[in-house]
Amino acid sequence: MTDIGIALPKGVSPDSSPASSRVRHMLGRIEYEGYLAGVIVVMAIVLTFTVGSAFWGSTNLSGLLLDVAIDTVPAIGMTLVIVTGGIDVSIGSLVGVVAVVIGLSFEAHLPFVLVLLIGIVVGIGGGLVNGAIVAWGRVPPIIVTLGTLSVFEAITYQLLGGVWISTIPAELTQIVVLDRLGPVPYSFIVAVALVAVFSYIMARRPIGLKIYATGDNPEAARTAGLPIRRIQLFVYALLGGLTAIAALMTVGQSPLVMPTTGQDFELTVIAAAVVGGTNILGGEGKVIGGLLGALLVEMVEDAAILYHVNSFYQQIVLGAMIVAGVAIGVARRRARLGAKAER
Amino acid sequence: MAAEGHRGEGGELTARPGADETGTRPPGGGGTAGGVGAPFARLVGVSKSFGSTRALSDVDVTFARGRVHAIAGENGAGKSTLIKILMGVLQPDHGRIEVDGSPTAIASPAAARALGFAAVFQEPLVYPHLGVLENIFVAGPERSRLGDLDRPAMRRRAAALFEQLEVDTALLDRRMGELRLGHQQLVLIAKALIEDAKLIIFDEPTSILSGAETAQLFRVIQRLRSGGSAIVYISHRFEELEAIADSVTVLTDGRVAGAFEARPFDLDAIVRLMSGRETRGYGAAPAAHRAGTTGPPLLEVEGFTLRPYFEDVSWRVSRGEVLCFYGQVGAGRTEMAKALFGDLRPTAGTVRMEGKPLAARSPRQAIRAGVGYLPEDRKAEGIFATQAISENIVATVLGRIVARLARYVRRSEVRNLTDSQREALQIKMAGPSAPISSLSGGGQQKVILGRWMVERLKLLVLDEPTRGIDVMTKAQFHEIIRQLAEEGLAVVVISSDLPEVFEVADRILVMRRGRIVAEFANDGTAPPEEVLRQAVALDQADAGARGASANGNGTIVDVGGVSVLVPSGDPEEKEVTGQ
Repeated sequence: MTDIGIALPKGVSPDSSPASSRVRHMLGRIEYEGYLAGVIVVMAIVLTFTVGSAFWGSTNLSGLLLDVAIDTVPAIGMTLVIVTGGIDVSIGSLVGVVAVVIGLSFEAHLPFVLVLLIGIVVGIGGGLVNGAIVAWGRVPPIIVTLGTLSVFEAITYQLLGGVWISTIPAELTQIVVLDRLGPVPYSFIVAVALVAVFSYIMARRPIGLKIYATGDNPEAARTAGLPIRRIQLFVYALLGGLTAIAALMTVGQSPLVMPTTGQDFELTVIAAAVVGGTNILGGEGKVIGGLLGALLVEMVEDAAILYHVNSFYQQIVLGAMIVAGVAIGVARRRARLGAKAER
Repeated sequence: MAAEGHRGEGGELTARPGADETGTRPPGGGGTAGGVGAPFARLVGVSKSFGSTRALSDVDVTFARGRVHAIAGENGAGKSTLIKILMGVLQPDHGRIEVDGSPTAIASPAAARALGFAAVFQEPLVYPHLGVLENIFVAGPERSRLGDLDRPAMRRRAAALFEQLEVDTALLDRRMGELRLGHQQLVLIAKALIEDAKLIIFDEPTSILSGAETAQLFRVIQRLRSGGSAIVYISHRFEELEAIADSVTVLTDGRVAGAFEARPFDLDAIVRLMSGRETRGYGAAPAAHRAGTTGPPLLEVEGFTLRPYFEDVSWRVSRGEVLCFYGQVGAGRTEMAKALFGDLRPTAGTVRMEGKPLAARSPRQAIRAGVGYLPEDRKAEGIFATQAISENIVATVLGRIVARLARYVRRSEVRNLTDSQREALQIKMAGPSAPISSLSGGGQQKVILGRWMVERLKLLVLDEPTRGIDVMTKAQFHEIIRQLAEEGLAVVVISSDLPEVFEVADRILVMRRGRIVAEFANDGTAPPEEVLRQAVALDQADAGARGASANGNGTIVDVGGVSVLVPSGDPEEKEVTGQ
């Protein structure tokens, strides 16, 4: 006689063990954003008791919030892109292109506001290229944006011609970094305002419902006559525009345009989105999650600096957070849909 | 940028009629332009080819208001092409479509929707992570004055409609993916009505439904009909044609082979037309088979348990025997087979093969022990969709047909095995290297069966082997099953098709709610109605439970993501869904 029911490794029925079932059930039920906020609060408490003054010091705090703002703004767009079932890995090099273009525009002494507009137009243009290829070329988004990543990088190098641009007007730094409400930079307030606007759009406007539907079941969306291609074009163009805003903030933060400006930025933004609960499989995700994810990612980075951890480990932690975020998303989906997702 | 997106939506939304109503309209009440029986949509001389294959040629068919029009036909007869043309997914090569008498082009799915055409597919096309309410209104939401989603208004309309359709309004607060398939279909019907559908196509809707769910669906269809909707009903099941259809059009090889305008329908004639040749009569008395088992059991299952799917299941099967598991969908038969096959892990019980313990922890181990499993869900678990027919056949025996040292797959062996199965199973194909996706459902099923036949098996489990397969291929399958048994294989057939069970079985086990509740020898003494009664006793309890819920005496609760209806009187009685 063989006992068939001893070990219960991964992949078995979710209902085979009451305890694991209950855990999964809870994971599926409680609002994920609640957990995330809890983790952030716990981290803040730990930081307060270990390196309190350094963490709450206004320099550290405003720097942290500016970093969060720079991540959050494109994370909003990244969330929408991932919700439609896509991804965009080109935004780091798009930051580079926008930075170079505005740098050159400043060098050419164009009016300040015009330069900002040019930057945003370039960003939207880059996003439109991505969106158009995804929507009409029917090429998988990861491949499209890997391709444009390379193209944008080449454009940056070409425009920069091996020289750094340092003629960034102090005005930009002033409005991005120095203008504050207490320790809170205006940039952060702008980011929060954008989060509020897009949370409202995703939850309350018909376009939000259609974006969710597109990613949840593209075939159903297509047969229902939803304008899938326009929706794809819209989310990538939006991400491009928001990336341009992040680029403006980046240049304001460190008024120097280099070939490496924006490098690896896409990792941080994708991390913010997936840590924030956006499901990499599409169909699920909240804009507020992008803000919370950015907060968590940047706090971890800040903590690493305050604890004097080697930056080598910071990269490892960032990578681990992306993987963990995706894994949790998939596990939650299983928990919610029970046995069905299992099969 | 956001505003741009909205403008894009606006045009479509304003075109939708009845946006301000709150669900007071009767189901299907949209069809006001003509009386009952008035033609609504007509296909005139419609033809469609794919390469050299004629999917439809010169098809004329009329769908009238207030009538249920059934389309019957073998697999590959052109039924799906017909649906796709009606739904704007495909364009006809020749011919025209008339709606209310005027020629109309259906250029896109959106155009079909605007005309009031809706389709409910066998596998409901849903947004699993959106709420039920969002699923219903995604393409045409109620909007407030500012253009926001007006959820309270949507809820009111949907709730009114749900009540008319006898669907629990509590479902509105669930995520679509948590609902069982029968409920998902009902939600899609509600969606079609909200969108003011005048023509509703049902594509084999009952093949995944339990008896009670089928009955509820039929009641809904009757209501739609009396509300004046034109219904297109596609089904393989003859008893359903009798139950629900007002007229039947038979498609054969893309042509209209015959039309039957009044009941009672001549089922023999329909089968004859469908097959395109004379066949044996439908519903003939079940053939008598050998009673009981002969010889020692090959496989003995004792106390097999995996809650909530099946519990304390014990049975045995001998070489040369065909053992049928009959029951309603969700009775736990598939899960039991998967546990046997190592795909699910049972929590208790033992399995012995030829007296030796067998505990397959993976399908790979099960196959090594000589157990094969032909899955219920052909697309998801059966075929390698992008691969050639020959590759699909040899998939599990690759290890046996590689060259000894160089380890490359010997093409000659692949060829031989494919040819032998092609002949044995009469698989019609362009060639062994044609993709399996080029075959009809029945052809694909034959290929997967062929895959198991090249294995050296002792036991083959066939899970709903002929679901969605045309009558002729089905008869072939039954012959093959008998033949396999005569060659000494033990065959277990899971089937919800009673005539099929009586056709192939030596012995019949009835499963209900995860337990074996009855055993019959198929020797001519077992009355089919008794077998059926044993299997559907669940449905009586089910109906009782639903009534309890409607009276507020029960609740739908969520257990580990599986929806369970718990009537307050008996907390142990659970209707397990999620399958």
